[in-house]
Order: sequence, then C-alpha cells, then structure tokens
Amino acid sequence: MSTLIDGLSLGSIYALIALGYTMVYGIAKMLNFAHGDVIMVGAYAILSTIALLGSPIAAIVVAILVCTVLGIFIEKLAYKPLRGASPLAVLITAIGVSYFLQSVAQLIYGAKSQPVTIGNFGSVAVGDTKISLAAIITLAAGAVIMSALTLFIKKTKMGRAMLAVSEDRGAAQLMGINVNKVITVTFAIGSALAAFASTFYLMQIPSTSPTLGAMPGIKAFTAAVIGGIGSIPGAMIGGMLLGIIEKISLSIPVLAPYTTALEFSLLILILLVKPTGLLGKLKREKV
Amino acid sequence: MAKNKFKLKHHINYIGVGLFLVITSVMMFMGVLNRSTANLITQIAYSIILAVSLNLVVGFLGELSLGHAGFMCVGSYLGCFFAKYMFAFTDSKLLVLIVSMLVGGLVAAVFGFIIGLPALRLKGDYLAIVTLAFGEIVRTIFKNLDTFGGALGLSTKKYGSELFIIALIVVLIMLFVMQNLIRSKHGRAITAIRDNEIAARAMGINVTFYKLLVFVVSAFFAGIAGVIYGHYATPVLYSFFSYNYSIEILVMVVLGGMGSITGSIIAATLITYINFVLTTNLSGDLAALKFLIYAIILIAMIIFNNAPALNPVKERLGDYKNKVLNKITGLLIKKKYDPSQVVDDHAAWHRIPSKIKMDALLSLDITDKNNQNGGDKK
Amino acid sequence: MKKFLSIALAAVVSVAALAGCGGGSGNYTANNTEFFIGATGPLTGDTSSYGISVNEGAMLAIEEINAAGGLNGVTFKYDMKDDKSTAADAATGYDTLFEAGMNVSIGSVTSGSCDSFASKADEDGLFFITPSASAANVIENRPTAFRVCFGDPDQGTLAAEEITKDYTKIGAIYDTSDPYSTGIYNAFEAKMKELGVEYIAQSFDAENKKDFTTQIEALKDCEVIFLPIYYTEAGLIAKAAAAKGCEALIFGCDGLDGVADQVDSSVKNVIKYITPFNVNSKDATVAKFVESYKAAYDGKVPDQFAADGYDAVMAIYEAMKAANVTDPTISPADLSEAIIPVITGADFKYVGATGEMTWDESGACTKVPQIVVLGE
Repeated sequence: MSTLIDGLSLGSIYALIALGYTMVYGIAKMLNFAHGDVIMVGAYAILSTIALLGSPIAAIVVAILVCTVLGIFIEKLAYKPLRGASPLAVLITAIGVSYFLQSVAQLIYGAKSQPVTIGNFGSVAVGDTKISLAAIITLAAGAVIMSALTLFIKKTKMGRAMLAVSEDRGAAQLMGINVNKVITVTFAIGSALAAFASTFYLMQIPSTSPTLGAMPGIKAFTAAVIGGIGSIPGAMIGGMLLGIIEKISLSIPVLAPYTTALEFSLLILILLVKPTGLLGKLKREKV
Repeated sequence: MAKNKFKLKHHINYIGVGLFLVITSVMMFMGVLNRSTANLITQIAYSIILAVSLNLVVGFLGELSLGHAGFMCVGSYLGCFFAKYMFAFTDSKLLVLIVSMLVGGLVAAVFGFIIGLPALRLKGDYLAIVTLAFGEIVRTIFKNLDTFGGALGLSTKKYGSELFIIALIVVLIMLFVMQNLIRSKHGRAITAIRDNEIAARAMGINVTFYKLLVFVVSAFFAGIAGVIYGHYATPVLYSFFSYNYSIEILVMVVLGGMGSITGSIIAATLITYINFVLTTNLSGDLAALKFLIYAIILIAMIIFNNAPALNPVKERLGDYKNKVLNKITGLLIKKKYDPSQVVDDHAAWHRIPSKIKMDALLSLDITDKNNQNGGDKK
Repeated sequence: MKKFLSIALAAVVSVAALAGCGGGSGNYTANNTEFFIGATGPLTGDTSSYGISVNEGAMLAIEEINAAGGLNGVTFKYDMKDDKSTAADAATGYDTLFEAGMNVSIGSVTSGSCDSFASKADEDGLFFITPSASAANVIENRPTAFRVCFGDPDQGTLAAEEITKDYTKIGAIYDTSDPYSTGIYNAFEAKMKELGVEYIAQSFDAENKKDFTTQIEALKDCEVIFLPIYYTEAGLIAKAAAAKGCEALIFGCDGLDGVADQVDSSVKNVIKYITPFNVNSKDATVAKFVESYKAAYDGKVPDQFAADGYDAVMAIYEAMKAANVTDPTISPADLSEAIIPVITGADFKYVGATGEMTWDESGACTKVPQIVVLGE
C-alpha cells in the first residue's frame, strides 16, 4: 500500500516532467533533451531565492519566471534557426543546450549537491502507513495542472492554435496562425511546467546538483512514450505507471538492482503490443 | 565495379585511412609517435567504426537508433571476457585480439538481430526509445553480473599503444564491407526502404530481411568497436555505455551528414580530436569549461550546417571552395573537373540524404500530412 | 568535396602527431625544472564533486610545500586531468601527464579509472598514492601502487563488528553501481554471515539514487541502518527517514563524511560513521588543514576527499624528503626505487589531516579510524 503511494508520488513528478516533453513534442515535433536541465535550472533558482529572500513562495515564483524566460531564450537562440531543418539536427542542438546548462550550473554553483528545503511537510497517518504530505500535494497539483492544461488547449484560442499546429503545421500557417509564435508559447508553457516539476521534485527530494535533470528527464521521456507521446493524459498515465513500477521493483530486494532494466523492458513490451503507446493514436499509413 | 575506370571518389575513404595508417605506423616504428597520439588514433578508430556503423542504420535505413552504445557494451564485455580466458591458452596478443573481436562482434550481431525485430513494427521515435531502452537494459544487467566484475568493471590484459594499427586495419575492413554493401543492389534496396517503405515493399523488396540485415551488420561492427575500446581502456565499466555515449555517436553521424560515410569518418575524427584536445588541455579548475566549450562548438556547427537561413552564405562559401578545390584537383589529377560527370548513380548515394524528408525519421505520427505530401511529391 | 577534407584532415592530424612527439614511445625524457605530481579524476559529470575536492586538497598541499621552499630548493608542480570516472580518459590523462614529465602521482580519484591508471603506472614503474580509490584490486599485485584511504573490505568488516556490538535489528542500504559501496557491502555481508546475524538489505543504483522512500519503508523498524555510501545519498536517505518518522541510527563509513551539510533540522536521527578524518577534530594538524583550506577556498568546508588529496600529496613530499631526492628530472622508475623502501620502512610515518599513517609493501595504509557521532 505504502509502496503504491510512494510510487504515485514519484510518478507524479515523472508525469509533470513528461507533460513538458509531450507538449513540446506534439507541437514542435522535436525531442527537447534539454528539458531535464531546465528543471535543474529551476531547482537552482529556488535554492538561490530561498538563500536570498527566505521565502519558498517567492522562490517558486522566481523559478517559474526564470524557467519561462530561459525556455523562450533557448527556443529563439538554439532551435528557431533550425526551423525547417531536420529534427535530428534540432535533437543534437538540444543536447548541446543540455551540456551548456549543466556546465554553467557547475561553474556557478559547484559540482557538489546542495540541500534545499522548501518546507517540512511532515506526514499523515492512514491506518498503519504514514504518507508524506509532500507526495499528496504533488499528486493533487499534478492533477490540477493537467486539467488546466487540457482546458487551456481545448478552450482558448492559443490552445486551439497549438492543436492546429500539431495536426498540420503547413495548413495551420495557411489558416493565418503564427506558427513561430505558437511554438514560442509552447516552449514557454513547457518550461513553466518544468519549474513546477522542480518545485515538486525538491519537495520530495530536497537536494540539487548540476546533473539533477538528466535521469528524471530520460525517465519522464520514457513515461511520455509509454503513454503515447503527444498525448497529455498519456503523459500522466505513463508517469504514474513508471513511478509505481519503479517503486515495486525497488521494494523487492532481488529485483532492486535491475530496476532500470525492468522499467525499460516494460516500455519495450508496451510498445510491442501498442506501437504508439497506451493512448497514442495509431493511424494507417497511406501512400 | 572492377571493370569500371578507377574513380577517386569510390576509393577516397580507403586512401585517406590507408595513408593515415601507413604514415602513423612508420612513425611508430621510427619511434617518433608518442603514446598519447597513438591513443588518440585508437580512439578515433573506434569512433569511426561506431559512427559509420550507426550511419548504416540512421543514414541509409532511415531509422533512428539511440542504443548504439548498447551493442558496443555487449561486444566489449563479452569480447574482453573471452580474451581474458583465452590468455590462459595462448600468449599471442594478436590472435587473442582477433578472436575476441570476432566473438564480441558476433554476440553484438545477435543482439542486433533481436533489436531489429521491434524495428519491423515500430517507427521513428518509438523505435528510438526502444533502442535507448535496450542500451540501458544491457548495461544495467552487466552491472549486476559478478562474472563480469560487477560495479568494479571487467579488467583484462592491457594492450600497448600499437593497438591503433590493428584498429585502423579494422576500420579499413569495415569500410570495405560497408561500401560494398551500400553500393550493391542490397544497398539500393536499403535506401529504397528509407525513402518509401511501402513503395519499396510494393517493388518486391524484402523489407524484413533488409531491416534485420542492417541492424545485424551495424551491431556487429559496434561490437568490434567495443572490443577495441575494452582492450584500449580496461577495466570495461558499465557506466561508460550510457545513452549519452549513444548520442555522442549520433552527433558524429548527424554532423558528418546522414548517409555519407566520408562525412561520418570526418566527423568522428573531428569530434574525438576536439574532445581529446579539451580533455588534455583543460585540467584542474578549467575542466568545468570543457563541456561549455564543447556545447558551444556543437551548437554552432549544427546551426551552421543545418540552418535554412544560412544556405545562401553556405552556397557562396561552397562556390569558393569548389573553385579552390577544382584547381587543386586539376593540379593533382590533371583532369578537368566536369560537373556533368558527377551525375552518375554512385555519386547520387552521397547526395540523396540531403534531399530526404528528415521529418520521416523522427516523426511518430505516421500520417503527418507533411510527410505524406513529401512522399507524394517524390 | 568532403573527400578532400578527409585528406586534409588526415594530413592535419598527422602533422599534429608529428608536432606532438616528444620522444620515442614509452621513453621518458624529462626536462623538468620542478617535481611534477600528476593525477586524474572526475572534474565534470556525475561524480565530479569528489574529483574537485581531491584536486583542491592536493593544490593546497602543493601551495604549502612551495611556500616553504619546496624540496631541496626545487618546487613542485601539480596537474589533474579530467577523466569523468572513465577508464579511457584516465588512460589518456596518464599518457598526457607522462609525456609532460610526471615523476610521481596521486593516481586517480575513483576506483574504476584508478585501475586503468594503475595498470599503466605499473608498466612504467611509476609510484603513486591514490587519495581515494579504495577498491582492493587497485593496489593488488602492483608494487608501485599505494593508497591513503582505507580499503573497502576492511571498512565493511569493521562496520559489521561495530554494529553487531550494540544492535540486533539491522538494515543496510548500498549502491550496486558503485565499486566503493559494493566493496564495503560485500565484506560486510560476509562478516555478518560469519557472525550469524540476520539483517535486511536494500539497494539502489546510479539511475535511481534520488528517491529513497521504498528502502526506508522496508527498514523503518530497524534500530540501525548501515549506509556504506557517500554523503549525498546518505543525506537524502536521512531526510527520507525523517519524513517517514523512522528513528533508526544511521551508521556509515568514511564516505559519510560531509553528511552534516546535507541534512537539516528535520533529521532527528543520530548519525555515526567510521572515518579517519573529522572536520571538527581538535587535533592541531587537522585544525590547521581545515583552517587553511577554508582560507584558500572562500570558507568552503573540506570533506574527506579534500583531506585525502592533501594527505596523498603531503605523503609523497615527506617520502621524497626522507629519500632526499634532489633531481627533478629523475625518471618515474628511479623515483619509485628511491621512495618505496623509505615509505614502507619501519620508521616512516606521516601525520596528516586523516591521522597518522604507515604503509607496508602491499601499498595499503594503516591508520586509526575514529567514530564521529552527529546529532546526539
């Protein structure tokens, strides 16, 4: 039971990160490998603001601002010149950006991991098991953010423009949609989501280091693919599933060392059964 | 082929690598080649093998693979493991090296076959993540096997700096196999699958066979590269073969140009050289700058190579370069460069990749209208 | 056109190779004016904090030695190449340093790359004292390989003895991807079996080393949790334990040094660890090291890696002093021959930041561990 809750709370972090991946993928059709590192930048923004101002709320606001600006900046500087070039070239640039952010963080903050305390949330007792409050907050926030995002995409003009761009970029442009603007906004939202992810990440794992984003980033990417990349509920489901599997595997001592292998095997199995992920749409290819 | 007139462009890779091999070997035997340069050459050699073999999958077959380091990992561990036990029976380092390379390559090829199977069903990013997953699974398993040294890594007998000679010979053999494969009817079938799988199938090309063939050949050479790596740097550590390394190989392929073997050779040499220079020169406090500089070089090179906005600039540069190169060619070969001659089928292999719709490679959405239209236009 | 580029590139590299040749392969031609101590360590990437600490400790030692006039009027030079904890880069780093005239070395920081470094040093007969590569195989069958730190198996055995003295409900969490951690844990496991004591083991690896709720959940009823790991993860485990209301004592080895900075007021658990280095020690040598380290690096508190790096350089210096080495162009093999009899001699001992040390022919270091207790 408590393994399940732990899995859900870890999964909700993966899900939040996966949302960022999925959004950017769905609209810009690129794998933003630097997304994990934006989370790392958010974590350091929180660390610095707490050190300066002492207020966790201010820290979260600053992190969101920093990440959003950073996201737009990266998009304009590194990805926009490559609009129309091969997605693989953009993928490599994203990796370049990832290296860049990591080394800048190491130069500024040093390589040692530093503890960050957003607040002590304690835990609530349900029957025999204690559930950390941070986990519950993360879960709830994940659900809220996901619904807000879905509403935004379905109800607002910008949201529908995003949908149109993801469906068919060329046609969207012909309909008068400013594709560049839509993509910039997508990056802004994706990066703001990254800032939320760093907040909830630090609530549960209160320590930052320059390589903080790498592994959660790749796991979240996996989660996004399990759920069907491009699909928002898919990212949530994929994240939760991955979190739970990871926790169950870790709780069985024989399996624990093979956790990563197990998670990725699950991914392969799911893709073999459903080649476009759990909620991905499978369309027939026509000539 | 044999009846055709000698064409420089068909043999340029052999000549380049061969010359390099001869020059460095002579230097070695004259005792004027220092160890770190010899090591650099070994690194370049296994990087070239990795890049060219990955290019077969990404550039020629058109499937994105992020698990090349996984094949390397399998080859490295099993080849070196085999070598360790072979030393009990023979003292010949050369024999052990050759046999262990074959063993590592063959085992990796088996894994290539296994990974080729999902490639029949999955496309684009979904295949990419499966290959990435494969790489991570493999290394996690090796990490936990005490037979292979566990977290401590697999220690084997170290080879001296003369290893680079064998490594370069392997590069030559690989180039021979790859170029003959690509320029044969099989190679054309493979590129046909890349350009339009359904059309290729309709033409009677055995897509299943060729996809598996490409994965097997590519994994075979990655495995061999792994064995060379393992003998160069013992202990074989599981942490080296992470997806980061797969991506580094992919960087070489993308930078050199998809579907260009010469490009892969150049890019692999360049990137290994840049890394080597940065690692050996930036020590102590300065080391943190290494990735910063590498990142900036990487982004700059990619944007320069690929940004549509820079095309006019590049054309002008290209014209200038052509003029200079034509002059040099004229001096060297005493044959006037005739652009019309380039338009033969062989040269086209080098040029097609710039034309293909790369969206098809990365896009999950198989019915993405852009792609379809792109396909239709062709 | 790429083909011409490839020829051009081959030519460039050949020229670079030509330009780069100092001497014949493997021949040592030193024209040093200073003694040159070389090292490799992770200065970028996941494990870089260890390499950076060792580097800073070693640089501090070099500064102190040179400020005091060096050895017989000859100053020392020191350089650490980045190896990202990989065997390949450690080998590259070794050769680059060797060609630059390295006389003696402090090896590599992490066990895997130090194995690679040591196999090369063995061929050249180069003497090295590694600050922190504690895996047993690094110094095994290598006459010129020495270390400053404890060996992993010794720590595991010692920990098992200490823990079983006072506690019965025992848990352990170790890192399956780290040679240091598995090295200690395997010895711990063997000793526990020998003692016939039951315990619960949990593990994690490099890919899952952030969230420890599961492991704590399994061990929450234990009186003591043994952590043969480094302080970063130990800090996270302590916090996860606090969040779960687990009050077990945390027991660790020298890797836990530095954990004090990683935990906050929420952690009520007592943390105990066996270490040769205690940053709060009243000992004059240690206090002096901590003071000068803080002064040199903007008030940064030294960790055990920094202390080990400092001691490794200082031990080399003391040994060279005792052997009365005067010539900075001495070849590594000759220098080894001069140092090894001295350092393994019965009357040689070095007192440094990590205590009083003596060495024997195996290369292992004998020093007295202390038990540091936090939060009591």
